[in-house]
Amino acid sequence: MSAVIELTGITKRFPGVVANDEVNLTVERGEIHAICGENGAGKSTLMKILYGMQQADEGTMKVDGEVVTFNSPNDAIDAGIGMVHQHFMLADQLTVLENVVLGAEPVRVGGAIDFKEAKAHLAEVGADYGLTIDPDDMVETLEVGERQRVEIIKVLYRGAQILILDEPTAVLVPQEVEALFDNMRELKAGGATILFIDHKLDEVLEISDSITILRQGKTVATLKNDGVTAHDLAELMVGSELPSPETGESTVTDHVALSVRDVTVVDDDGRSVIENINLTIHKGEILGIAGVEGNGQAELVDAIIGTAAISHGIVELLGTDITSMSVRKRRESGIAYVPEDRHHEGLMLQAPLWENAALGHQTQKPYGSKWFMNRDGARAQTELIREQFDVRTPNIDVAAHALSGGNQQKLIIGRELTSDPSLLLAAHPTRGIDVGAQAAVWEQIRDARAAGLATLLISADLDELIGLSDTIVVMLRGRMVARLAPSDVTPRDLGAYMTGAASQDEPNHDQRRVVQ
Amino acid sequence: MGILQKLHALPAWIRWPLYALIGIFLLTVVQSISGTDRLTQVSTSREMLRWAVPIFLAGLGGLFSERAGVVNIGLEGMLILGMWFGAWGSIEYGAWWGLVIGMAGGGLGGLLHAIATVTFQVDHIISGVAINILAPAIARYLSDEIWASPTTSPRTSSVGDLDVPFIAGGSIFGWESPDVLLEIGKAEWWFVSDVADLARGLLRGTHWVAIIAVLLVPATTWLIWRTRFGLRLRIAGENPAAGEAQGINIVRYKYVAVIISGALAGLGGAFISTELSGLFQGGNSAGRGFIGLAALIFGNWRPGGVLAGALLFGYVFGLDLKDLDGTASHALLLVNTVVLGAVLVWALKRRRTTDAVLAGILGSAAFVWWLSADAVPSWWSNILPYVLVLLVLVFFSQRLRAPAKLGEPYRKGS
Repeated sequence: MSAVIELTGITKRFPGVVANDEVNLTVERGEIHAICGENGAGKSTLMKILYGMQQADEGTMKVDGEVVTFNSPNDAIDAGIGMVHQHFMLADQLTVLENVVLGAEPVRVGGAIDFKEAKAHLAEVGADYGLTIDPDDMVETLEVGERQRVEIIKVLYRGAQILILDEPTAVLVPQEVEALFDNMRELKAGGATILFIDHKLDEVLEISDSITILRQGKTVATLKNDGVTAHDLAELMVGSELPSPETGESTVTDHVALSVRDVTVVDDDGRSVIENINLTIHKGEILGIAGVEGNGQAELVDAIIGTAAISHGIVELLGTDITSMSVRKRRESGIAYVPEDRHHEGLMLQAPLWENAALGHQTQKPYGSKWFMNRDGARAQTELIREQFDVRTPNIDVAAHALSGGNQQKLIIGRELTSDPSLLLAAHPTRGIDVGAQAAVWEQIRDARAAGLATLLISADLDELIGLSDTIVVMLRGRMVARLAPSDVTPRDLGAYMTGAASQDEPNHDQRRVVQ
Repeated sequence: MGILQKLHALPAWIRWPLYALIGIFLLTVVQSISGTDRLTQVSTSREMLRWAVPIFLAGLGGLFSERAGVVNIGLEGMLILGMWFGAWGSIEYGAWWGLVIGMAGGGLGGLLHAIATVTFQVDHIISGVAINILAPAIARYLSDEIWASPTTSPRTSSVGDLDVPFIAGGSIFGWESPDVLLEIGKAEWWFVSDVADLARGLLRGTHWVAIIAVLLVPATTWLIWRTRFGLRLRIAGENPAAGEAQGINIVRYKYVAVIISGALAGLGGAFISTELSGLFQGGNSAGRGFIGLAALIFGNWRPGGVLAGALLFGYVFGLDLKDLDGTASHALLLVNTVVLGAVLVWALKRRRTTDAVLAGILGSAAFVWWLSADAVPSWWSNILPYVLVLLVLVFFSQRLRAPAKLGEPYRKGS
C-alpha cells in the first residue's frame, strides 16, 4: 500500500502556544485512520492545516507522494481532500441542494446555476455511497444525523477521495453512530480514505484501521488497530488511566429540593414543546435527563430557571412555589445554572473573569447588592473560585475568551457552586472540554452532591449520565418516556429509549420505584 | 385560513395584482364613505410612484448588502451621494451619464462602508451612521467648490419618461394612440374607474428609471436565487464560515454586495436630483434612504416585498403631497381601521391573544380618531411609514426572515 497522505515535521504556533510540534502522520490509501487525543492536543489544528484552512509554520505535506502546499481549502479540494467539520457548516435557510453545490456549482452561460445537473450529480453520488436525502428540503428541517449526511455528501460531491471527519460522533446518539459507521464502511468500500477525530475510544477501536495519538501537540504513536485496547489508548492519550464518572455511595435524602408537577410549555405556534412533565429531585440526588437534542430538555431547563413561560403546571423549590417568580428571584432563592452554551449564555467573552464570576449573582453577596457591584468582594470571590476550582489563568483581569474551554467551564461551575445553591441545573457541563477538566467537573458535582445539592443533569454523553446520575429520565418529543435506574442500563438501552425504539408505560407514575 | 393558503398557492404574477386590486377595492369603499376623491386619483398614483422609486432602489440596495450579512443603515448617505454625483454627471456629461455617475457616487459610499465593516470590522450601525453624517457634508462641500453654492446646483437634464401607448395614450412615431385608461376613468364607473385612474398614474409619464426599477425585481430575484453569484452572496449572510470552508472568498462577495448596495441607493439619489427635482438640492432626499431600509424589512428581504413596501410608503407620502387640508390622509385612518380589524380576526383565529388585543386597541383608536376629526396633521403622514413597519414587526415578526448572520462581524479563518 502506498501512503496517500504523509505529513512530516508539521509545526504550527499560535501566540503563546505551540498547537502542533513536529507532528508526523502517515495515512495509507483506503484505510480509516483515527486521530485521538485530549482537547487541546492539536488534532483540529492538524486537520485544518491538512485542509488548507491554516498554514503550517514548518513541515512538509505530501499527497499521493507529491509535495503540496495548501493556501486555502480550494487547494485541498483540488487535491481530493474534503472535510466535515464538527460544527456543521450548513446554512439553515438554504436547501440541501444549495448547501451541497455551494462552491462547486455547475453553471450555465450567464452564471445561472444548473440545478437540474446539480440534482442529477447529487443523486449519482448518493447512489454510489448509499446516502439518500431530499435535495429540496430546507436544512433547518433536518435532524442532526441527516445534517451530517448532507455534510458528507457535500464533500463527495466535489469528488473528494480523502475525507476528514472532525468528531463526527459527538452529536449523535448510539443508533445514529452505527448508521454513520455503516456509511463510513461503504465509503471505504468505494475506495475513499477516511481520517477522523474522536474522543471515544470504544468507537475508535470499532471502526478504525489505524490510530494516531497526539498529546500536547506532539505525535505520541501510530498504531495498527490490532490487539490494541482502550486502556492502552487512554494511557497514551493522557499518560494515565481514564477517569470515570462513577458517583459511588448513594447520598439521596428524603428532602424534596425540586418538584415539577404537570408542567407544560408551548411554543409561539401553540404546540407543546414539553408536556405534563413530573419530576422530583431530592437533596443529594442527581437526576439525569437523556434525550436526543431538541426533545424538550432545553425547554425543561428554561421552565425551571424561568426563561420560558409555563402554560400550566407548578414548579416548587424547597416547598415554595416559584412558578411565577422572575428569573432573578429564582436565582436568588438558590438555583444555580450551568447553561448549555457557555459562550452564548454563560459568559461575557469580552469581559474580565471577575465580572464573569459575578454574572447571575451580581445582586448577591459578596459580588454586590441590589444597586451596586462590590468590586473588591467580587474580585476576592473570583480568586477563591480560581483557587478552589483550578481555573488556569494568569490573573482574573483577562477576558473570558482568553481561557480554554475547560477553564471557562470550571469558572462557570465554580461561580455556580460557590453561590451556596440548593438546586443545580447543569446542561452539558462537560461538553467540548478535555479529559482532565472533565474529571475535575465530575469531581466537583460529586462533592456538591455529597454536601446535599440536588442536581438536574442534562448530557449527550451517555456514559457521563449513567455514571453520575442517581436516576435517569428519558425525554422524547417533549414527554418523559422512561425512568431508569443507572445501575441496570447501558448506553444502548438509553439510545433505544431516546430514539423511540423502546418505550415504558406511564413513566410518570412510578416515581418511587427507582429513586432509592 | 383556507383562503389565505389558497392565495399563497397562486403564482406570484396573479397573486400580487390580486393583492393590489383588493387594496384598491378597500380604498374605493373608504373613499365612498369619507367623501374625499383623492385616494384613487391619477395624480395620487403618479406621486406614489415618484416617491416609491428612490425608496425601492434604496431598499433593493439594502437587500444586496443585508443578504450578504452587512447591515446598511448608510443607505441614506449613499442616496445623497447619488443625488450629488447624479446631478454633477448630468450637467457635465448628459442625462444617462448622470445616472451612471450617480450610481458610481453611491457605490463609493458603499465601498467606504465595506472597508469599514468588512475589512476593519467596525460596527455596521456606527459605520452607516458615520456615512449618513459624512455624505451631506461632502455634497455641501463639493457643491460649494464646483457650483459656488453649498445647497443647490444648476439645472440638470433628465432621461425623461414614457406614455405607454394604447392604454395610456402614448404616441408611436408621432401617431397618438388611444388613451383607454383616460376614457375608463372619465366614465366614473365605481371601482373600475378608480382602478383605471390609479393605473394611468403609473403608465402615463412613467420615468424610464421607474421602468428600470420595476425590471430590477425579476432581475434581482434571478440574480440572488438562481445564479452562482447569488448563492455565494447569500452564504455570506447566512453562514460565512460555511462558505469559506468551501473555498469561497467571503470578503470579496461582501465587498461586491455592499458596493452594489451603494450603487442602487445612488441610482435612487440620481433619480431624485435629475428626474424629480431637476437640480441637486440639499435635503431633497427627505429620508428616503431610511424609508428604503424600512421597506426592506417590510418586504422580508425579498425584491417583490421591497417593491410592495416602497409603493405602500410612496402612497402615504404621495397622498400627503397634494393633501393640503389633511382630509385624504384622514380617510386613511379608516383604511388602518379595516386592516387592523383584519389582523384582529387573523390573530383570533390563531389564538394569539396579545396580538388580537393590540390590534383591537390600535384599530379602535384609529376609528375613534377618524370619527372625531375631519383632518389629520401632516406629521401623521410623515410618521405613517415607520408606524407601518413597527406594526409589521409587532404582528408578523415571526414570519420575517432576516439573513442568519446579519450584522455579525466576520473574521476570516475563525
